[in-house]
Amino acid sequence: MSSRVKDVIGLLARLILGGVLIYAGAVKVGKPLTSQRAVQAFDVLPFELAGWIGLILPWLEIVLGVLLVLGLFTRFAGAAGALLMVVFVAGIAQAWARGLSIDCGCFGGGGAIAAEDTQYPQEIARDVGLALCGAWLWWRPDSLASLDRVLFGAPKEN
Amino acid sequence: MGKSSRPPRNPQAGTDRKAKIEAVAAQGRGGVNKIIVATVVAVVAIIAVVTGVILNQRSATDAITAGGKAVPAGTTMGQGLPAFTDATVVTGAPTLEVFEDFQCPACKIFEDAMGETIAKLGTEGKVKVVYHIKTFLDDNLRNDSSMRSGIGALCAADAGKFQPYHDAVYANQPAKEGDGWSDAQLRSFAEGAGISGAALTTWDACVKAKKYENYLTAVEEQSGKDGVTRTPTLRLNGKDIELKSLVAADGKSYDPAKLTEAITAATTK
Repeated sequence: MSSRVKDVIGLLARLILGGVLIYAGAVKVGKPLTSQRAVQAFDVLPFELAGWIGLILPWLEIVLGVLLVLGLFTRFAGAAGALLMVVFVAGIAQAWARGLSIDCGCFGGGGAIAAEDTQYPQEIARDVGLALCGAWLWWRPDSLASLDRVLFGAPKEN
Repeated sequence: MGKSSRPPRNPQAGTDRKAKIEAVAAQGRGGVNKIIVATVVAVVAIIAVVTGVILNQRSATDAITAGGKAVPAGTTMGQGLPAFTDATVVTGAPTLEVFEDFQCPACKIFEDAMGETIAKLGTEGKVKVVYHIKTFLDDNLRNDSSMRSGIGALCAADAGKFQPYHDAVYANQPAKEGDGWSDAQLRSFAEGAGISGAALTTWDACVKAKKYENYLTAVEEQSGKDGVTRTPTLRLNGKDIELKSLVAADGKSYDPAKLTEAITAATTK
């Protein structure tokens, strides 16, 4: 694969993961209680701690998303995005395995829903795909049209 | 004459320094220091996140402290409100806890189908009904109608008219989730429930003071801690009733007979 193709893949990975993170964060901002309840519905962490994560998570998603779209500190942002997705997949998988009927609340909403309305396989597949975008950038952060290049110059290898 | 204007003692030293500077610049390629950029980004991100979280927290705190700290009769802070308290409770009657948000469409569907049965069994003392009035939809719908209608219902409870007020709110739930109720509508529910004269003046004052705002916030918090993640949630003697188990054979509507059955089965002989 030429380095030009890899650069384009890098750009797409940045825009997909970054775009989804910004959207996911933006729809949750301004609805703190809903976001808290969504995290609490996973029933993994203590109630209070889950509440704090519900408050912080939307902002974290936006910050990572902006870094990715700009292509700034791409390796760090890609790795963080990938790890975040792995955590989401683990959370959804444990809910599925334990027979909870919840909406992941990934894009707002969340909480318990009817068992037949759960979408665990789709949610996991989506997050695995996003994790792969992050993993690519972790492995090869260089990409087209990135602030990294503008500010720090093109890398020597690849 | 300043030192700087003096020519260098060793002409070679100046060239060396220049070469070093150039080498460093070449390494950075853009001449921008990565650590400085990282620091700036981190500081901006932290400020944004902390400001965002604090603003969210403050709006939540304001909501709590704006109202009174009163607790409705017959309950304690954060716990549910017992209904049909005039009934003579049959020995061994189970407790049915109903967790609802006045703005929740699924709660209206449940109330439309089951309200009459619950009222009948409640007034006959065959079941002890406890309402947990949740308000989490205000956050998701970006309005305050769950809280305002909840306060209206509890102010009606002060006048002994909780049940008719509760029923009127569901009967008049807007077709579109999130449209909520006007103050005039909430007041008309009180009048419809039979609150008039001095009692209505008291109701007005109670609503104006947001007397039960703190209590309702505590109920929302406590029910969340107790694992209620959806509305309606039904608990019979502390055990969740699957809503699906109450659906009629056609799979479309609730069957009140199934709720009666469940309550009878939970009655200790």
